[in-house]
Parts: sequence; structure tokens; C-alpha cells
Amino acid sequence: MNNQKIRWTIFASLFAVIVVSYIITLKWRIPTSPSVQKSYDLIESLPPSSMVIVSFDHEASSLPEIQPISYIILRHLFSRNQRVIGMSLFAEGTAIGYQTLNKLAAEYGKKYGEDYVFLGFKPQHISAILGMGESIRQVFPQDYLGNYLAEIPLMSGVENYRQIAAVISLADGDRTVQWIEYTGKKHGLTILGGFTAAMITTYDPYLSSGQLYSAVGGIVGAAEYEGILGLPGKANRALLSQTAAHIFIVLLVIAGNIAYFKRRKGGK
Amino acid sequence: MSSRIPLIVCLVAGLIMFLQYFSAHPVARAMFNQVNDWWQIIFAFTLFVGVAAFMNNSMRAIRRGKERPFKTVSLLALISMPLLAIIGGTKIGSPFLWTFDNLQAPMQATVFSLLAFFVASASFRGFRARNLQATILLVAALIVLLGRMPIMAYLSDTIPELTYWIQDYPSMAARRAILIGIGLGSMTTALRVILGLERTYLRGQ
Amino acid sequence: MDWGAVAAGLLTLAIYSFLYRDNPVYKFAESLLIGLSIGYALVTFWQTAILDKLVYPLFSHGQLLLIVPLLLGLMMFSRFSRRLGWLSRIPLALMIGAGAGSAIPAMLYERTLRQVSNSIQPLVTAGGQFNFSGLVVLVGLLSTLAYFYFSREHKGFLGSFAKIGTYFMMIFFGATFGYTVMSRMSTLIGRVDFLLTDFLHYLK
Repeated sequence: MNNQKIRWTIFASLFAVIVVSYIITLKWRIPTSPSVQKSYDLIESLPPSSMVIVSFDHEASSLPEIQPISYIILRHLFSRNQRVIGMSLFAEGTAIGYQTLNKLAAEYGKKYGEDYVFLGFKPQHISAILGMGESIRQVFPQDYLGNYLAEIPLMSGVENYRQIAAVISLADGDRTVQWIEYTGKKHGLTILGGFTAAMITTYDPYLSSGQLYSAVGGIVGAAEYEGILGLPGKANRALLSQTAAHIFIVLLVIAGNIAYFKRRKGGK
Repeated sequence: MSSRIPLIVCLVAGLIMFLQYFSAHPVARAMFNQVNDWWQIIFAFTLFVGVAAFMNNSMRAIRRGKERPFKTVSLLALISMPLLAIIGGTKIGSPFLWTFDNLQAPMQATVFSLLAFFVASASFRGFRARNLQATILLVAALIVLLGRMPIMAYLSDTIPELTYWIQDYPSMAARRAILIGIGLGSMTTALRVILGLERTYLRGQ
Repeated sequence: MDWGAVAAGLLTLAIYSFLYRDNPVYKFAESLLIGLSIGYALVTFWQTAILDKLVYPLFSHGQLLLIVPLLLGLMMFSRFSRRLGWLSRIPLALMIGAGAGSAIPAMLYERTLRQVSNSIQPLVTAGGQFNFSGLVVLVGLLSTLAYFYFSREHKGFLGSFAKIGTYFMMIFFGATFGYTVMSRMSTLIGRVDFLLTDFLHYLK
């Protein structure tokens, strides 16, 4: 088989493995990892009506992976009657954050401007993070809908990070690193991350040092969170396909190595 | 003058943003707010310069007949988004958000998901235990793949625990060393930029 | 019929056609995506930075000092002129200077010192137990740093120690690869979910 045909065979097999495994419906009960448990405990421990910033620091490309995390965290926040300030440090996160927040808020009967607000996006993320430490209104004079922050009941009395109980950064890149490093000791914010799995190892040093309070990583992290809340959703549904895909890749690596060593032995 | 003014501007902006970390004086705060706002506004203009350059290049390519249909599609799509925003706004239910939700976001996620296929192909064709280093890399990857596989929760405690250990200690130590290296390098470069010793950004136009 | 889902489904298939080979259908979808993404960014930046932070404060609230960033922003367009191109260096210098100034405390304290201090752990715990994991972190950190130390030739002890660093880096890259595979598969599963549920209505 030539290289092109091998590639097509791998592509078609992977697609088939995922489609078939996705069609089969299984309800999973998986153990919770320590970091997901810590994230859950943090939100549980916040007094009701605490101000929480949820920053949609990702693009549409990672939506299939980040959305289950943002859904379950927002469901938890709204069910605990926390007040949510939505924002984004990515242009694309604006449309995503605005719609996600409105959708989830509607599920829990929350009112815009009183229980939640969406500030929108500001370019130059470092400048936005630094500026909000001084004055949120200076950085976001208006919310996404064009209302002045002074006219929004939820924002009365919210001056800067001092009134914020926690920041939840939903990121597919290193935006959370900037939240950690540019607020840091100066503002002492509690930062919780929701990441794509690919970013997990990037954040390990910050989790170890305590600069990042906790993290929910990837589809499996979202499924663990869904499990604690007893609200199985898209992440739980994806677990069989995720398992099948992992097995498929492991088999490919083994097959590739067997072929390699056979060829090397033959060559010698 | 073409170099001196930018160097002075860089020095002043750099000092204001550096000192804001240490000072709570109202004058320092006011200066910080000012520079911070200006930084955001100017940053936004850089995008517009990029858009202008993109449109310019696309128009040139269309005139030359190079990939004309595709360049035309790009340009029309680019123009359509501001038009939709002007006509219907950007709130929920607007044509602008409809286009984002049904055309842009799905395509972007799909392009990203193509990587799954290429990762699978690379796993078969390139992920070989050629030497000790490659073997360590391969074994670490396989442990993580198996350990974070949801079904492993029903089969074994050892592999998930080993995954967490690898992640929390040896892998984290290497990542931390890389971070510290980047941190020291970034700090030195930042100092050199503010002091005008690093001037590469002044090259070209 | 949900025309949005139909359009999204057809465009999804158009992009997947690339897996067979590059073709005009894929190129059409790619060009459309490029144009829409730039157009979307244009609208968002205009609304959130120019209207919100420049036009309204300057023209509605008379904050005249904002003429300065307006002029600096317009100077960026001088890049298209050979004669006046140097003017664009001024706004660029402000952004680079501001970025550099704010980066120093972040890089020094949050990235470097806090990471170093967290690596210094007692190797024997209060209960008298040997802290093996702490030793792994210490050796891993120092040997990886040794690998990036280029002021001396990597020979003798330094060479051997730096080699140990490469093993730690391989563990990091391996773990990252494992998680990256996990991530990409999740993205693909997300698209399969869309195709089976919203596009084909095969699943509910």
C-alpha cells in the first residue's frame, strides 16, 4: 500500500471509529480528578451573590471542547445564585460568550443586568487585565449591548478586582497565564481555569505553585464536573468515543513501531 | 528624528507601565490609565492596517487573475460582515450572529478538527522508538493516553495515578524550567527594549 | 428546515473534503472562512475599541486628550507610504514600551521567582519520610535549566547533567502529545456530534 492509501485508510478508520462509538449511548460514572473536585468545591464555598468573572478566552475552533466546560461551570454558578460578569479577551469569544451566557442564564431564569452581565471584548488582553485592576469601568465603559456600566444594577459597587470573588478563564491558549501573571500578588485573585486538554501540561507549574487555584481540563474534565453535579451532558456522551479514539491511536503507535522494527531488522 | 522619537516614546511608556506596579500615587495611576487606554486604541488600529493590507493584496491578485474566484469570495465575505452588523446589529437573532454561528464557527472548528486525522496519521508514521529519548517520549505519551482514557477508571487505579504523577512531577519540572528560562529571557529583552538597546522593532516599515 | 444547520453541515463536509486532497470545494470554504473571520474581527474591534473607547468619549464627552491616540493610530497607516513610513514606529514604540514595562514585574516575580520558590521543597518531610517526588522536581528543573545553559560547552558533568534534562523534556513533550491527541479527538467528536445530531438528525 502506498503512503497516500495508508493515510486515507487511517483517516477513514478514525472517522468510522468515532461515528460508531458516538452512536452507542452509555451513561458513564467516572471518578473525579482532584483539580476538578477543587474547582467544584471553590464554587460551592462562595457565598451566594458573589461576583465571579467568567472570561471566554478562546476562539470558535476549540468550541467543541470548551463549550461543555463553560456550560457546566455556568450551570453550577447560576444554580448557586452567583452573579456572573462575562467578558472575553478574544474577539471570537465575544459572540460565543454573549450567547452562551444568555442561553444558560435563561435556563435558570436569571435576569440580565441584575444576575449577570456581558461586558464584551477589549483588544490588547494584557492592557485589559491590568486596567481592570484599577477600574473595570475604565476598561469597559459600556457592556456588549451598549449600556453604560454606571446604569447596570449588577455593576453598582463593582469598582475593580477587590469586589471579585473569583475569575474563571475558559481558554484554549495562554490567556489564563496572563490572568495569573498580570494580576498575581498585586491583586491576589482566585483564578480557576477551564482548558482544552492540549493546554493542561502548560498550566501544571501554575497549579503546583498555587498561582492557579484549580483547573477543569478537556472533555474528560467537563464530564467529571457533570458527574459531580449529576447533570450528564455532551461531555459524558463523548466519553465512549474518546475512549475508542485513544485506543485507536495507541494501536496505531504500536502497529507503526512493529512495522518500523520489522523493516529495521530486515534492513540489517 | 525617525529613531529618536520612537525611542523616547518607548522609554516613557515603558517606565510608566513599569512604575505603575509599585506606585499607588494618584498621578501614577492617572498616567497608567492614560497609557493603558491609548495602548488599546492603537492596538485596534493595527488590525485595521492588517485588513487594509489584506484587501489591497486580494484586489491586486484579482486584477492579475490569480485565484480570482477564491479571492473574490474572501473579499465579499469580509465586506458582508460589517454590512450585516450595520443592517441588523450584533445582538442575539441578528444576521451577523447567524453568520458567525452557522458559517464561521462551524468551519473554524472543522478546520481545527482536521488535526485529529493528521495526528492519527503521524502516530502511525512518525512516532517511533528510534532511540532512548524517543522511547521516553513515546512511553510518556502512551501512559497519558491510557491513563486519561475514561474507561481506565473501571480497569485500573495504577495507570491513572501514574499519569497524574508524571504530570505533576517530572513533566511539570521540565515545563517549569522552560517557563523560568522564558521568564528570564523576556525580562532581559523588556529591559533592553525600554533602555533602547534592543531596536529591532525600528527596522523596516 | 434549519437552514443554518444545513449550511454549517455542507461547509463542514466541504472542509473535510481536504482529507482526500486539496480541491476547489475546500478552497471555496477556506476563502469564505478567511473573509468572514477578518470581517468579524473588524466589526468587533470597531465596536469595542474605536466606538467604545475613542469615538463616544471624544465626540460625546469631549475628552480631547483622546486626539493623541487617534493620531497615533492613524500613523499606523503610514506603513503604506515609503516617505512617511517611519511615522508608524511611534505608535509601535508606545505599544512595545508599554508591553515591556508591564512585563518586567510579571516575568520577574510571577513567572520566575514564584516558580523557583515552589521548587524548593524539603527532601525529608516532617514525618521523616523521603520526599522522592520533590527530588524528581529538583533534578528535573536543574537538569533542564542546565540543558539551556549555553555559556559553557556541554562536556563532562554539565554535559551528562544536561542530558538528564533532555529525558525530562521528553517526558513533558510526551505528556503534552498525549493530551494534544486527547484534545484533537474531542474536537473531532464535537463535529461528529454536530453532523449526526443537528445536520442529519440521526441522533437526538
